[in-house]
Amino acid sequence: MELGAFVVVPGGKDFTTIHEVQPHVAAGSKNPRQLVCSRMPIVGNDVLRSWMDRIRKLGVQSLWLTSGRRDGTVTRSELAGFARQGIERLLVIKLNSYAEMDLADLVRFHCESRNPVTEAHDAQGQMGISLLDQLALRASEEKNQLSAAPRDSGQIPYQFSGYAKRILAARERQELVGDALTGACAMRPFGKQIGEQVWIGENVKLDSSVRILGPTYIGARSRIRAGATIGPFASVERDCVVDCGTTVERATVLPRTYLAPGLLIRDAVVDGGYLEHLVWGTVADLHPAGLGSRIPRRSSRRPSSCEVPTEVLPPADSVPAWGFASSSGASQPWLQVQL
Amino acid sequence: MIILPFPCVSNAAVRRALRKELLSALRGSGSPVIVDLSGCPPLNHEDIELLLECMAQVAGRDTQVLFVAGSRVNRVLLEVTRIPSLVPVFNSVKEALAYPKATVETDVKDQSASQAQRPWSA
Repeated sequence: MELGAFVVVPGGKDFTTIHEVQPHVAAGSKNPRQLVCSRMPIVGNDVLRSWMDRIRKLGVQSLWLTSGRRDGTVTRSELAGFARQGIERLLVIKLNSYAEMDLADLVRFHCESRNPVTEAHDAQGQMGISLLDQLALRASEEKNQLSAAPRDSGQIPYQFSGYAKRILAARERQELVGDALTGACAMRPFGKQIGEQVWIGENVKLDSSVRILGPTYIGARSRIRAGATIGPFASVERDCVVDCGTTVERATVLPRTYLAPGLLIRDAVVDGGYLEHLVWGTVADLHPAGLGSRIPRRSSRRPSSCEVPTEVLPPADSVPAWGFASSSGASQPWLQVQL
Repeated sequence: MIILPFPCVSNAAVRRALRKELLSALRGSGSPVIVDLSGCPPLNHEDIELLLECMAQVAGRDTQVLFVAGSRVNRVLLEVTRIPSLVPVFNSVKEALAYPKATVETDVKDQSASQAQRPWSA
């Protein structure tokens, strides 16, 4: 039986640039948008790659990628196109969680339970991982949304009890960072371990006066200047600059972020010039106060072997046309990625 | 107790006037001074410089200065700049007005409990 895999990256216009998504937060907004998206690295790891590795182990040769709405909702008519392409069983993964799931076990459960649709659940409910048979794919042309199917039909969900963490909320994402740094999950920081629970990526520049308190990760090509303190439970991702005397504690600094001197970044996720406080959920714009900013991309930089996507995937306007009709809501391009 | 509003400042002349007003009030005051940022949109670097000047103005003197963030965003920005480690920061004027009183009462009753009254405690 031919198995296809389909990954939806929630919340972006174009998944080739989704990790660069900028939060457009009105100053002083009480209900700001969250900064993080599922394509942002976590201690140097790409969650999409981790799912790709798991899909590859199923013997699947390629997968289809698309971006979706913020909640990763996919219309059934979009999925129905796969049935017309000869896919007999489709694995759909909404990229809203990191989970150490044995997909072969999910397939086994799906076959044994004879569900047309099997959804994976954990203690928090739906995980956004589904397996659909051709019957369900074809039937989906007449219905609207995938997420309605198992609950409506009373089918048995696949109960996952292993490690899983949602990654669309900054707080849960930071919990995953902590788990990766302390070995509480299988994800390992992408770099060289230089001390007790301290990892650094390639070409990191650390001033001799920098204090690093594990568990901590510093990503490739980041610069940590004199007197700065990184950690504990800190992740400074690739290509960042942490200026003199700044402390990063229980926090993540996302790629290509500059932090001004003398700051205290605690319980926060910082992306360019925006900071989301993990306790209060407030997003603050650091630009007007001159406290942080986005570092422009250097065009000559070559991606590390951990980074998947932007170079693997062709730009959206060069996506080969697919032969199935999209629903009215399916405005996003599809990309086929060889595994 | 003196309450000094810190309004939205649109140009350099207004900022100079505000600076003069704030610093002279801090110089001449022997009682605690509350600088209220409620009317200020998210702080910019000039606002933060002025707040630091206010702090420097009262350093080493008996005058106590307190800041009212007025918004969550301002509060986050103040924390990022480490200002709360030097000056008590509150969410509202009401909280700030209660602070010295609470501290005095707590000091009389139980010194150890005063730690729990810190303005940044959750």
